[in-house]
Amino acid sequence: MSEPISPIRLHKQLERIWMTPSGIGRLSSVNHTVLGKRFMVVALTFFAIGGFLSMLIRAQLATPHSAFIGPEIYNQIFTMHGTVMMFLFAIPMFEGFVIYMLPKMLGARDMAFPRLTAYGFWCYLFGGMILIGAMLAGVAPDSGWFMYTPLSSRPYTPGINADVWLLGITFVEISAVTAAIEIFVSILKMRAPGMALTRMPLMAWYMLVTSGMMIVGFPPLILGSILLELERAFDLPFFDPTRGGDPLLWQHLFWLFGHPEVYIIFLPAAGALSTIIPVFAQRQILGYRAIIAAIVAMGFLSFGLWVHHMFTVGIPHLALAFFSAASALVAIPTAVQIFAWLGTLASGKPKWDVPMLYVFGFFFVFVIGGLTGVMLAMVPFNTQVHDTHFVVAHLHYVLVGGFVFPMLAGIYHWMPHISGRQSLYRLSVPAFWLIFSGFNLTFFQMHLTGLMGMPRRISTYPSNWGWDWLNLSSSIGGFILTMGFALVLADMVLQFRYGRFFRRDPWQAQTLEWATATPPPSYNFAAIPRIDIRADGLEPARIGPVQAGGAGYLGFAREDRQETMGVDMATGAPEHVMILPRRTYLPLWTALATASFFLAMLFGFYALAPFGALATLILFLLWPASLGQKRDQGPVDIGMGEKAPLDVECDSNVSVLANRAAIVMDATLFASLLFGGLFLLVVAPNWEGMTPLDLPLWLAGTALAAAALAGGASLLARRANGRGGRGGPWLLATVLGQIAAVAMLVMLALALPEPTAHARQAVILALISYGALHCGLGGLMAGHGYWRLSQGYVSARRQTEMVLAWLWNLYAGAALVPALGLIVLLALEGATP
Amino acid sequence: MLGATPLLLAGCSGELSALDPAGPRAANLALLWWVMFWGSVVLFALVMVLFGLAYLRSNLIARLTPAQWIVGGGLVLPVPVLVLLTGAALVLGEQLLPHGQAPLRIGVEAQRWNWTFTYPDGIVLDDQTLHIPAGQPVDLAVSAADVIHSFWVPRLGGKIDAIPGHINVIRLQADRPGIYWGQCAEYCGEGHDIMQFRVEAHEPDAFADILARLRDQRPASAQPSPLRGEGATEPPAPLKGANRRSGGGQ
Amino acid sequence: MSRPDIRALVLLIAGFTLWSAAFVLLYALQALGCAYDWGAAHRPILIGTYLASLLPLAWLALRRPYETGEPQTSLSRAALWANRAALGAGILVFLPVTFATTCL
Repeated sequence: MSEPISPIRLHKQLERIWMTPSGIGRLSSVNHTVLGKRFMVVALTFFAIGGFLSMLIRAQLATPHSAFIGPEIYNQIFTMHGTVMMFLFAIPMFEGFVIYMLPKMLGARDMAFPRLTAYGFWCYLFGGMILIGAMLAGVAPDSGWFMYTPLSSRPYTPGINADVWLLGITFVEISAVTAAIEIFVSILKMRAPGMALTRMPLMAWYMLVTSGMMIVGFPPLILGSILLELERAFDLPFFDPTRGGDPLLWQHLFWLFGHPEVYIIFLPAAGALSTIIPVFAQRQILGYRAIIAAIVAMGFLSFGLWVHHMFTVGIPHLALAFFSAASALVAIPTAVQIFAWLGTLASGKPKWDVPMLYVFGFFFVFVIGGLTGVMLAMVPFNTQVHDTHFVVAHLHYVLVGGFVFPMLAGIYHWMPHISGRQSLYRLSVPAFWLIFSGFNLTFFQMHLTGLMGMPRRISTYPSNWGWDWLNLSSSIGGFILTMGFALVLADMVLQFRYGRFFRRDPWQAQTLEWATATPPPSYNFAAIPRIDIRADGLEPARIGPVQAGGAGYLGFAREDRQETMGVDMATGAPEHVMILPRRTYLPLWTALATASFFLAMLFGFYALAPFGALATLILFLLWPASLGQKRDQGPVDIGMGEKAPLDVECDSNVSVLANRAAIVMDATLFASLLFGGLFLLVVAPNWEGMTPLDLPLWLAGTALAAAALAGGASLLARRANGRGGRGGPWLLATVLGQIAAVAMLVMLALALPEPTAHARQAVILALISYGALHCGLGGLMAGHGYWRLSQGYVSARRQTEMVLAWLWNLYAGAALVPALGLIVLLALEGATP
Repeated sequence: MLGATPLLLAGCSGELSALDPAGPRAANLALLWWVMFWGSVVLFALVMVLFGLAYLRSNLIARLTPAQWIVGGGLVLPVPVLVLLTGAALVLGEQLLPHGQAPLRIGVEAQRWNWTFTYPDGIVLDDQTLHIPAGQPVDLAVSAADVIHSFWVPRLGGKIDAIPGHINVIRLQADRPGIYWGQCAEYCGEGHDIMQFRVEAHEPDAFADILARLRDQRPASAQPSPLRGEGATEPPAPLKGANRRSGGGQ
Repeated sequence: MSRPDIRALVLLIAGFTLWSAAFVLLYALQALGCAYDWGAAHRPILIGTYLASLLPLAWLALRRPYETGEPQTSLSRAALWANRAALGAGILVFLPVTFATTCL
């Protein structure tokens, strides 16, 4: 740009743009470093709460005939222990880690949608507070963390306990949904120039697959929660076997999410291991490409396992055989990774340090969990130990081995990056041995407890079954484990307070995150380096001072804008300059509006809930106001003597990619709904003796025609705009078409007889609502495009809004086809064949 | 390897222990467990030894190439093990299925937090005791009236879920007359921990006598089972009976 | 999508995407056959679907990788491994259609 300036001045200029203010202004932060740390601190707080609950469980089970807490309280405690650990600790913990670390590893200055990160954080915090608040009020969920119906349905859980789970967890899951899309898009588009996909550190590959899995893994759970809440709130019988519903539908939807979820938790941890092990082996990872193939295989195979949680529900043996075989086969990509790590250590010059202690703990614990996992995949054996303490032992070996030990290795490895100080080690080693021995003492003999017949989730037991000493020793182990965690906490506090400072890259790691200053500045890199070799073989100590001096891409502060590089998805060639939104309170306000919706639903003020949803929507519509350009600028200087256009002038920008990902997610939710409808039609009890429904199906046909016309008009709008013509009238036509479609669908819904009488009508109502909602959304996107067009933000080069309007209208029309098809199929059920 | 099994078994006996089988089906499942257990011990030891060797810088493994690590450890080692194990388990699973008709089929209905057993000739027992003939397979058609439960007699075989709206069949067999304990294995609310029941297996002749006697007693089904306390060991089950919680829900 | 690097990226997930589709299809056919009592036709339909699903998987697993430069060389070698894994998973996971009891 102009003549070089000193690193200090450059730092001050960039810091002024990117920083988070102090005081109340902290609430406006959208910075990934700040939000990543917040995610992790809150997640660790929930980990402590979940750990405390587990202490209560072990205290209760330590002796037979325990009178410590009765079953009413105990049921809430074990439900909350599982819920907190899975949804409020494990997932948000790795999200926080990734939000903090990923841009630094890839050479970006932030995530793709900083305000969405902040919104996700607030949703997570508020949703978690709803759950904890309910527990303190004594009305925590008590149906087990997988909430099987009918136990969680209104007749058997009349209080708000189950609503707390369904609404609280769905609220929290918003953060997972936003994080998934953000991580996916950020990895594909926001890397240091030159970093081709095959030069990314493996952590990025792990997270790319994980985020893809989240995009298709979470929708079934969200749909299931919505349907169950609809059943509880409005008596729509999706899961009620007496009215054509089926409790097994809930199990399918839950585990369709629940099993991939285990791998969603494991893969980021495995990514951390693939980053840490090469550092301590002092050589690059062995089998980079084989590991990529293994991650992909694992990502897909993990979706073929869900029924292994349902081996005893009476599914035919052939179907069980598919899932049994897939469950066994998933051990193979796991073995590929395990042996790649072992080989990396064996062929390097391995050195010991505290992170490696936890890596050893991982190998020991996770391999046992994996082996018992293969055992559980065998259908006959599963019928003995399913729902016993054997499964409790297995899942703790897998999750603690596969997540907590790698997490602790990661904490000791990366904490110096966050604190800028190194650990003192006096407490680290004894803390590890307490955790390691306490864990195994708690859970190893629990395998035997289960084999000797102790089911999960019983609050007490007589002393004649031979379980006494097993339980007592597990409880003692549990308390040793807790002492270990307390020592780790003390160790962390001491490190922040008294740890010794270091220059750069204390472990001689070879990844880019160590090229930032430590603690990192708000903008990460004063200039983004060019990466011409694989990014797990870099020299951060050399890159660090160079980038701090402003040598590299975007090594300047321009027009108070938060700029970072957008690259070609595959090759990493510089493609465009991204301008990120700056700090704002909007995410907080939007999350509060969302919270008002969830609270209105929770407390049964159903008439108020739409206002919360409307407020959320209006606030979201304010988000784009500060973004965009009113004139075409052409390529701008990006340093290194190169030029690139701004993001709004590039039609492969992150907004378009993110909306494509969101549509995939939405379509998965819809596919789950279609699956649910077909499942009930084919399998559920009480569908005999039906007569065809008298529905005005011409309304459905008209709605489809209107939506199809709207979709066509949105395409014409985009084409006209791309040619430099007028897209506005076509957008207005789109809006009108979708209004007509929504009106037809609403009339169709009103003509539906007795939606609460049978699951058939309930499913039809859900399908109509889904269609109407998406036609409305298409109209809204078209209207938004028109507004942006009239404001001057859209041109033949700046056409993001037109593309988005087209995408969502196309999807709305496409979704109506199977929705209406299934409606017809359901309505005709009972007609003569 | 399997030679050590009886020794270990001594510590695994118990009235609800899956490792103390009392019927051919449970025995097969226990055998499957011991095979998998010893296999797992070997594989676990292998991984730990390799980890140890990596740190001791043994020349034994330092020269292995990446391809050898990944193909050897990731494919050659696990694929045959998994294929054989899964295949064997599927064949065993086929044998355990309730093919055709067993000589006797008993209806089982779970309701919070009780079990009701219905015999072919209409006898209904709700004193938490299931009578079966020993030495022959019995089909149990399991369902539930309210929430999901699970029917499990560990010493006789695996479990099957009791799901409202569905009827699931499980086949069990006891080798000898005696008393075997069963319980609900799927969490079903506040009374989950007391939802146990007895299975009394009788010689076929004695079983026929009992059925005849029960048929005469009908409908006084609330009376205790005629065989309660007879002969076989009966562990005290202090949580059962008197303080059984009832009502709620429904 | 005509760039070799993007095609290699698509190939990376192509095999397992097909595998997933075949999985869903076979599971659905198994359930439909039991619900609507296809009787003796049930197993031949399942076996036919099994074999048909292996054809595209085999084609992907035997394809030659793009080796015209980075990143497509590395990507398509990884893709080849993934697609061979998908073929193996297809052969093994769906093999029970040949013998396991369909509706019990």
